[in-house]
Amino acid sequence: MVELVPTLLRQELTRLAENDARLDGRGRWEAREVSLETDCLYNAEGSAKVVIGGTVVYAGVKFELRTPWPDRPTQGSLMCGAELRPVAGRKYEPGPPSPESIELGRVVDRGIRESGCIDMDSLCIVPGEKVWGVMIDIHVLSDQGNIFDACGLAAIAALRTAVVPAERFDVGEDHRLEVNGTPIMASFTRVGGRYVLDASEEEELGGDERIHITLGDEGHLHSLQKGLKGVFTPAEFAEIFEVAQQRCVELRKLVAEKEGN
Amino acid sequence: MGGYGDVQLLRDDGLRLDGRKLDEMRPVTIEAGILPAADGSAKVTHGLNVAVAAVYGPMEAHPRKIQRQDRAVIDVRYNMAPFSTSDRIRPGFNRRSREISKVTAEALESVVLVERFPRSKIRVEIEILAAEAGTRCAGITAAAVALADAGIPMRDLIVGVASGKVEDTVVLDLDKAEDNYGQADLPVGILPNTGEIAFLQMDGDLSPAEFELAMEYNFKAAKEIHEIMVDALRRRYEGGEA
Repeated sequence: MVELVPTLLRQELTRLAENDARLDGRGRWEAREVSLETDCLYNAEGSAKVVIGGTVVYAGVKFELRTPWPDRPTQGSLMCGAELRPVAGRKYEPGPPSPESIELGRVVDRGIRESGCIDMDSLCIVPGEKVWGVMIDIHVLSDQGNIFDACGLAAIAALRTAVVPAERFDVGEDHRLEVNGTPIMASFTRVGGRYVLDASEEEELGGDERIHITLGDEGHLHSLQKGLKGVFTPAEFAEIFEVAQQRCVELRKLVAEKEGN
Repeated sequence: MGGYGDVQLLRDDGLRLDGRKLDEMRPVTIEAGILPAADGSAKVTHGLNVAVAAVYGPMEAHPRKIQRQDRAVIDVRYNMAPFSTSDRIRPGFNRRSREISKVTAEALESVVLVERFPRSKIRVEIEILAAEAGTRCAGITAAAVALADAGIPMRDLIVGVASGKVEDTVVLDLDKAEDNYGQADLPVGILPNTGEIAFLQMDGDLSPAEFELAMEYNFKAAKEIHEIMVDALRRRYEGGEA
């Protein structure tokens, strides 16, 4: 099938880019409004809902008791997965996890894991016998662009507000999960030849490659990912990296505000 | 049903453990049009249950073999999020969700004017985000509001409600403990204007008289929920920016 709409859209996006404009009137580094809600789901030990423009994402944290790996008897485990089910949009089909959903889950997972915000030793109950397995599941309900940032934010917010259900498993008292840090993701998409922050659905449809940057509290990089066809220069990266630093500080503040409640 | 007869589910004062009367349902809230990517959507909270439904279409039905020459097919997927239950569920379909999807689709086909859209498909996605007994009913209610929100013509709305039996007593709208330890569960999908029934399941043990009372409770609850559904649709389309 000839992709007629993307071709026309592409032309329009290129024309707009020449005037440093975007389809929805935003500035190049201007993000859509973000709303974050935590503790919003009964049965999840930590939960968050993130809305970015028309993108809606939920994340839920569950715990399970498991036997540690023999070579790491004192370490618990962390797993983060994302589901891009058909509910999320017309283009999503039922079936086994798509490469896109696996990439999404793994990029979020790496950002959280590599930031070291979860001390795996703190998840140990009885060395060699019992440790906590922490599972973050992300559910995309509406995709109108930039699901990566929404998923990253929902995952860390759910994690940071999670309560370890020790009483239910008969291994002590319930307590807040220890999370030392708030890794945040910022994503950029090449639209009309140049990168923009927080691309919309149309911009993604008529755009090119994307870059995801996850930064820790000190501004250190913890996860990077380039997705889709396209190339970029070190100078382009330097430019978006600077924007990413600001963006991550803003979103981290939002998470902190929710925790204060 | 669980059938653990020795768990106390009714208090000495005759009320239920959560303080509800026998014919009192859990609080229900409904919001229409919550998912911008969908053609129609709704969120239903019913007690602690959270059900979200998205509708896409009518759209081209493919592969072609699923097409019907004289009507639209309704493709329903009922799915529980991994974090929706006490123990995490592995993502993906299981026998339970397949069965619920099938009978829900058939119920919805009974109210949607499917003959208006030959050879097309209407996708209904039901996602359960939090489960506390009664998710299929909350899902049906959410699906009906989402279909209406999508502007798909229907003969009537359809309301999901359930009654059951605990400690030999018929009660409306079982909560989790009542569902686990009760003696019967009777979820139905009621067309509130015509009084017809498009969805029916039951398990457990009910006498004919108990069945009659349970249905009476269901019809009473359907009327209440129907008002909340209509109100949600009004709020979406009256005034506002829409």
